[in-house]
Amino acid sequence: MLGLGIESTAHTFSCAIIKKKSGRGKILSDVRKIYRPPDGEGIHPREASRHHVENSAGVLSQCFKEAKVSIRDVEMISYAAGPGLGPCLRVGAVVARSLASYYDIPIYPVNHAIGHIELGKLLTGASDPLVLLVSGGHTMLLAFLERQWRVFGETLDITLGQMLDQFGRSLGFASPCGRDIELLASDSSNYVSLPYSVKGNDVSFSGLLSAAKPVAEKNRADACYSLQETAFAMITETVERALSFTRKKELMIVGGVAANRRLSAMLGNACKRHRARFYAVPIKYAGDCGSQICWTGLLESQVKKGARLGDTMVMQSWRLDTVRIDY
Amino acid sequence: MLMKLVQTGAEADIYRTQWLGSDAILKVRKPKEYRNHFLDSQIRRQRTIKESQMLSHAKSIGIPAPLVYFVDVTKSSIIMQRIPGRPVHDLPGSRIILLSKTMGRLAGIMHKNSIIHGDLTTSNFLLCDGSVFVVDFGLSQNSSRLEDHAVDLRLIKEILNSAHAAVMKQAWKNFVSGYGSAVGSATCSQILELVSEIEGRGRYATVV
Repeated sequence: MLGLGIESTAHTFSCAIIKKKSGRGKILSDVRKIYRPPDGEGIHPREASRHHVENSAGVLSQCFKEAKVSIRDVEMISYAAGPGLGPCLRVGAVVARSLASYYDIPIYPVNHAIGHIELGKLLTGASDPLVLLVSGGHTMLLAFLERQWRVFGETLDITLGQMLDQFGRSLGFASPCGRDIELLASDSSNYVSLPYSVKGNDVSFSGLLSAAKPVAEKNRADACYSLQETAFAMITETVERALSFTRKKELMIVGGVAANRRLSAMLGNACKRHRARFYAVPIKYAGDCGSQICWTGLLESQVKKGARLGDTMVMQSWRLDTVRIDY
Repeated sequence: MLMKLVQTGAEADIYRTQWLGSDAILKVRKPKEYRNHFLDSQIRRQRTIKESQMLSHAKSIGIPAPLVYFVDVTKSSIIMQRIPGRPVHDLPGSRIILLSKTMGRLAGIMHKNSIIHGDLTTSNFLLCDGSVFVVDFGLSQNSSRLEDHAVDLRLIKEILNSAHAAVMKQAWKNFVSGYGSAVGSATCSQILELVSEIEGRGRYATVV
């Protein structure tokens, strides 16, 4: 089966085509355009959605060109229906609906967070992992149980990605700032004490963010280093807690922050102690992309008919632990 | 001393041992390679001290908890009484529903005495000879702030909702009723309101 997936939840507009054959998926193309806000500023939803509108046609045709297929070959279209920024989500939904109704192709609204997890499983081969989803929109520990992804721990306030971005922006970096912070952090090994907030399996980052900003006024590299060390140690500790509580033997990390090497190294080390296998999604597919949406849509299409056009809305606050999974 | 590693916990290794002829466990917080050295020793030291203090405090107000035999702060280790019970986590759903009332009552008594357990999960309640024991006070703290009490409850709610999804509704209802019996219904509803507020602060918890 040939599917087209459309992602537009935040800064990325992406289309991807995947061919699915007996449980295996082959990514034929995955084209993205990423909206970059001015340095020191965050995503402006209106500007981001304008970016998506202007780039949607180009990305879509490029994705067909690279996959060497035509829209007439597509048997399923999926789009990210949430969670995300309303104006951005609507761009992807409009593109998906237009194609689906004009060419009469079944359409599937997909949860963006589930997309991260499903593509991660496809690419890493993990079978029953504890999942750490860390991105701008999520910081969650999940395990699959009785037809749903269940939350075993999460952030009580802002996400890890948000914290890194907000901190990075205060230093004048452009979002997403994770890479810049990681680079600057590697210049220091001087740890400055910052609030470490683990509450059971949950974490809280807002106090850490506030405390790190004044440190940056004295030394930016020390602040980046200490912020990373503290935040990642918190995350790794909750991962250890969830591993020992759920007794899972696999850990998979997905989401944009999965690209951070220091975090991966820490998690890999913690997994060793629990004799768990560590899987990290390939960096190319860690951030938001159409493949995540396409693959999840293909899985959904095994067990469900396409949605009626009237049901193809967007849901800005669609939590992944409310999605029932039947495939 | 004869020692046998019985469990690799989240933050400590648990060994079975003897202390002056009694069955005991040794809980060692070993250095974590992945953590910055300074941060690591700070955390291990603080938690070892806090855990032993709070264990004794909890016992003194009548919470069934292990007796502390010996504390070695330099090695971040505690020797304590061994509770030969089973974690509530491993019991059948019907038992978990029944025991939730006791777990709630114990949580209530601790909160009333300003003890925040910090890691209220079904693995940290052990059923032993018909009594429910509370263990693992590594993340505990002293606080009479209702917000802190609510964070504590939110965790057990999250755990019931994930690990014990099939019995969540009844178990949570029983937990709340046990909790209310200890802290009083007025305080209980105040704290439950705070729990919803905290949940609401989470990501995508409410529709915009």
